Amino acid sequence: MTAIEFQGVSKIFPDGTRAVDGLDLAIAEGEFMVFVGPSGCGKTTALRMVAGLEEISEGAILIGDRVVNEISPKERDIAMVFQNYALYPHMTVAENLAFGLKLRKVSKKEIRNRVQSAAAILGLEDYLERKPGALSGGQRQRVAMGRAIVREPRAYLMDEPLSNLDAKLRVQMRAEIQSLQRTLGVTTIYVTHDQTEAMTMGDRIAVMRDGTLQQVDTPERVYQWPANEFVAGFIGSPAMNMVDARLTRANGELEVSFGDSTLVVDDGLIVERPALLSYEGAHVTLGIRPEDLEDQSFAPEARPGQRLDTVCTLREALGSEVLVHFPVGSARFVARIDPQTAAREGEPLRLVVDTRRLHFFEPGSGLAIYDQAGTVGDRWPASRLSPASASST
Amino acid sequence: MVAFPVPLRRRRERAVAEGQALITTADWHRPAVRWGIGSAQLLLLVGLVIVGLGPLLWLAKSAITPTTDTITHPMSLFPHGAAWSNLREAWSNVNVGRYFWNTIVIAFGSWLSQIVVATTAGFALSVLRPKYARILTALLLTTLFVPLVVLLVPLYVEIVHPPLIHHSFIDSYWAVWLPAGASAFNVVLMQRFFDNLPREIFEAARIDGAGPFRLFWSVVLPMSKPILGVVSVFAVLASWKDFLWPLLVITNPDRQPLSVRLPTIQSQTELGIFLAAMFIACLVPIAGFLIFQRSFLRGPGLSGAIKG
Repeated sequence: MTAIEFQGVSKIFPDGTRAVDGLDLAIAEGEFMVFVGPSGCGKTTALRMVAGLEEISEGAILIGDRVVNEISPKERDIAMVFQNYALYPHMTVAENLAFGLKLRKVSKKEIRNRVQSAAAILGLEDYLERKPGALSGGQRQRVAMGRAIVREPRAYLMDEPLSNLDAKLRVQMRAEIQSLQRTLGVTTIYVTHDQTEAMTMGDRIAVMRDGTLQQVDTPERVYQWPANEFVAGFIGSPAMNMVDARLTRANGELEVSFGDSTLVVDDGLIVERPALLSYEGAHVTLGIRPEDLEDQSFAPEARPGQRLDTVCTLREALGSEVLVHFPVGSARFVARIDPQTAAREGEPLRLVVDTRRLHFFEPGSGLAIYDQAGTVGDRWPASRLSPASASST
Repeated sequence: MVAFPVPLRRRRERAVAEGQALITTADWHRPAVRWGIGSAQLLLLVGLVIVGLGPLLWLAKSAITPTTDTITHPMSLFPHGAAWSNLREAWSNVNVGRYFWNTIVIAFGSWLSQIVVATTAGFALSVLRPKYARILTALLLTTLFVPLVVLLVPLYVEIVHPPLIHHSFIDSYWAVWLPAGASAFNVVLMQRFFDNLPREIFEAARIDGAGPFRLFWSVVLPMSKPILGVVSVFAVLASWKDFLWPLLVITNPDRQPLSVRLPTIQSQTELGIFLAAMFIACLVPIAGFLIFQRSFLRGPGLSGAIKG
């Protein structure tokens, strides 16, 4: 069943800016949907429209089967967690949690029970009489979560709730929010600009850019089957390497040439992406993820058509892996390789590319090349609007 | 070596740490700076104490000095003992007690009227933000440029013949309370403070189910204690010392405040007793300042509300 649905939703600000443009999206009951994109992509505006904090300029938003365009925030049966916590500074933690229930005329006994149980879930029992000023950042974040939980709403809306926490606490809270959402089973829209949060938390992620939806699918599929260059570059860290290339056929094999290098496209990849054949002799944008590159010493069985000879310009040792920067034509590539690598700055480096995992994009439109020439295939659009297909993946 | 009191030194170190100080800790270690700036600070402090506190202390001393001593030896300190009876006589014989009460009633009413108007108008313009809020704010600001003296006659006419009510307010405290509320300065002050409150908190309250009144009463007002303190101090002080308007609209001597009565009784009252009456009149503003100074010198008190 669909819990929240955007039907051609747009937000046009008085200065004419289209912050959200024709958003169509259905979020299933109990689903954890993450809106992700760079600053100014419209993800927070979309969330605020669901909350009723922004007017909807065009289209309709449905919560359940009810159009909520004209319904006030308090009647939408949603709870929101703000980026800056937005706790009431003059109230204790218990009063903060109880405020929404009190306004809804819930009985005192019921309020006490719900506050106690939310405090128990979030480990806030010892802090109920404290004011927000006497809490740490993580505890305040929990209170903000608690305020949403006690309401037992139809949906949680979370606007970058972890962005003010330090890195370690963020990882911890990320897991806590995720497990909480799974336990409570409440539909959640989570806004973030952090693609790691999006990848790890969401049942599905909706990638946005300049107010338009770029792709919506499970994190794995968005990573493996990006709809276009933007999604490919945004999801994954370090970002996917991109370079102008040319597809040619030599000795019966499809090759992709860029800079001084040539790779042989794996047959399996052509089967998966038959539209590539129609680009023979044409220019394409080649994408290679840093993790699909490896130092040749650790992949000795690689064929010549998988090799990339270059010079290491920068070596970043991260302990569990080494990031190696190197030039490819006019572009700069990054490879994530084994920490035991002998690669040194300024020295020649032979890398191996996993040619089964190359990505190709049409140079003009930036669309990924999958099934049909010049268009993206049906691998990701199939699940774009239907929440049902998400649960099947 | 000048030995600075510890709090001053600590405050200086904090200012240096926060990059707000023009003179760094290293500068303070130089004798020329330490002596030069230190002496200048000391002189300035002594000067300010003499100018600021001197008249008050002199008034306090004169209030309990016999009239003859005040006239013959104005600068001596109790040459023939203190006259505590001045205070008692001022309170009972000169009827200062009654005028004191009148002043309190007038100040309280003016304060209430100003607080109600300033908070509700500030809330409407800053938080509710109706479409015409900007025009209203601009109109409010323009009234700040109209001198009070220019308004005296039209305001007086309005008090004598108020619209709709058709019953003169002359000699009633409403004649002071109602015009006091119409203070654009307070509204602008309040509006600016509300503008700086985090809007996410208002949004959170709206999602929690708070309507405009609940938002105002349970969220905005409790968060506005510092500015309420400031407006209260301004309102009470202004009302306490206001002379001209109460003189015009309250003609019955039994209802007049201290500020109006004191100049009137001066010629018929012995100097010592008159000074004691003046001293009593000053007590409330001084006490008010001492009580409220912390509240309006303190920060906005929003710690923990948001993480910026």
